Amino acid sequence: MLKWKLHTPEGVQDILEKDCIIKREIEERIASIFQSYGYYEIQPPTFEFYDVFAGESGLIEQETMFKFFDRQGRILVLRPDITTPIARIIATKYKNLKPPVRLCYIGNAFRYDEPYQGAKLREFTQAGIELIGANTPEADAEVIALTINALLASGLKAFQIEIGQVEFFKGLMEQTGLNEDAVEKMRVLIDNKDALGIEELVCSYSIPDNLKDIILSLPSLFGDIGVIDKVERNTSNAKSLNALQNIRKVYNILVDYGLEKYISVDLAMVQSINYYTGIIFKGFTHGLGFPLCSGGRYDGLINEFGNNISAMGVAIGINRLMSALEGQQVAFKSWKIDSLIYYLDSGRRRAFEIADELRSQGLIIEMYLGTGNPEDVGAYAKQKGIDGIITVYDEENIELYNLLTDEKVKTTVKALLKDS
Amino acid sequence: MKDITIALAKGRLAEFSIDIFEQIGFTCSEMKEKSRKLIFKDEEHKLRFILVKASDVPTYVEYGAADIGIVGKDTLLEEGRNLYEMVNLKCGACKMVVAGLATLQGKLDSLNNKRIATKYVRIAKDYFQIKKGQTIEVIKLNGSVELAPLVGLSEVIVDIVESGKTLKENGLVVLEEICDISARLVVNRVSMKMERKRIMDIVEKIKERI
Repeated sequence: MLKWKLHTPEGVQDILEKDCIIKREIEERIASIFQSYGYYEIQPPTFEFYDVFAGESGLIEQETMFKFFDRQGRILVLRPDITTPIARIIATKYKNLKPPVRLCYIGNAFRYDEPYQGAKLREFTQAGIELIGANTPEADAEVIALTINALLASGLKAFQIEIGQVEFFKGLMEQTGLNEDAVEKMRVLIDNKDALGIEELVCSYSIPDNLKDIILSLPSLFGDIGVIDKVERNTSNAKSLNALQNIRKVYNILVDYGLEKYISVDLAMVQSINYYTGIIFKGFTHGLGFPLCSGGRYDGLINEFGNNISAMGVAIGINRLMSALEGQQVAFKSWKIDSLIYYLDSGRRRAFEIADELRSQGLIIEMYLGTGNPEDVGAYAKQKGIDGIITVYDEENIELYNLLTDEKVKTTVKALLKDS
Repeated sequence: MKDITIALAKGRLAEFSIDIFEQIGFTCSEMKEKSRKLIFKDEEHKLRFILVKASDVPTYVEYGAADIGIVGKDTLLEEGRNLYEMVNLKCGACKMVVAGLATLQGKLDSLNNKRIATKYVRIAKDYFQIKKGQTIEVIKLNGSVELAPLVGLSEVIVDIVESGKTLKENGLVVLEEICDISARLVVNRVSMKMERKRIMDIVEKIKERI
């Protein structure tokens, strides 16, 4: 029989020392960028009622949520994202908000995805922002610019942010008059850039030629901003034209931010079109087969909780970012223990005093807990990569041992604390 | 410049794929020699070919371990991975069908408790449960699927049919056609964005050849 207690379930990871240092560092860098743009952090609970996530325009399918019950038999879920709880909070607790409100978060979310190591975890960390109550191209651009700067701050170098606009596709589909099922089929085909499938589907309906041409060209409508010019001339419905205008405005603002080199456009980005209502974007980098981050405008979500306020946000996948940074060999400084203190019984009181004093000066001090003789202490320090040993003999006398130069100096407590 | 990695399904499809890549000016002569190597390089064009089991091609490409893959539509449907399906290579054209004894002709829908033997569990479920709204029992087999209805393991099978010869020799007939199958060129979603120029160049050249 397998001993389950020795294993972790599929899709979760132990994050050990080295990775933990890197993860915290990345999170801190990103959090400080969020803050520098005036975003306040909030912390929604880790589990909530299932009903919060079960809304019409929900992004997350119910079979991917971890569910359990409370004592009244109500269904609870481990939060599958953090944006939806924030939408609930905005609608219920910020009733008299003076827009815009800028919020950010860093926390774990849980999804019952297929158990894939690394890329698709069932417990993963998201860092994100929500810009609430501002529905302008400037607001869209701020969220995208902030995402780029957060990724840059994490140390990532080569990456691409790709912008789409779900209204473009919605406008085209309204113009064709296709029913909901056919639109959904079309959406999947376009999302997969399946030109053959699109052609078969388009040809099985009577759609005007010029509209047909645009739909057929959708899989190739990605690349630089020039894509917009190409398609604009042939687009005739107001919704799609507005969507193209919106992308161009956001792009021009990003040019003023000086960030256009990170931006490309994909008009066939049509995932989650029930959730998003405008700009939609994803971040990509080398060596990672999945998007690093995804975001967009979701003006309908907060209304699900009874308050009609626009919102735009992004979530960055910290675990994916970590593996991308590792793949791109971005170095992170790790801290190390500065000194090891070893004392004889007669020096114990003084040893704690010295340790406290040095720690308050910002040094990292480890107390030797072994029972060995001085040689053992030396061997222990070498094995742990600690470069200095302070031996405390009594209230007065100590020895400083520098393992790098192999120098031993006998001195007094007074002299040490004065020096350092 | 980073290598572009192309995953090919071992076997007939790999040979066909190599021919296409040679026609558009890449060198993979090394692959034609009989050997056990699994990685081949075209240094000049910074390409790397890897040989993997057909059903693993979508996995390699979805994860980005390969940027491009060439694989049958049957495998793509069965694996259901999140990829860009860019080109129909039109090679290996055949059909995915439901087959069984001739006595079942026209009676398939009225058959209660359908047991279906197949290598393609997902395709069978998609077809019967989602498309036709019928509950079925799927029996997963790994080969010689035609045998199942003959020995009473299942009522029908879901399998690929090229000429129909194997079915005929075993006394089975095609009851329903599910879809057309042929080889496809697939691309990883991120690679498409990060290496757009080089990948689209390969895609366009291959499209011209077909």
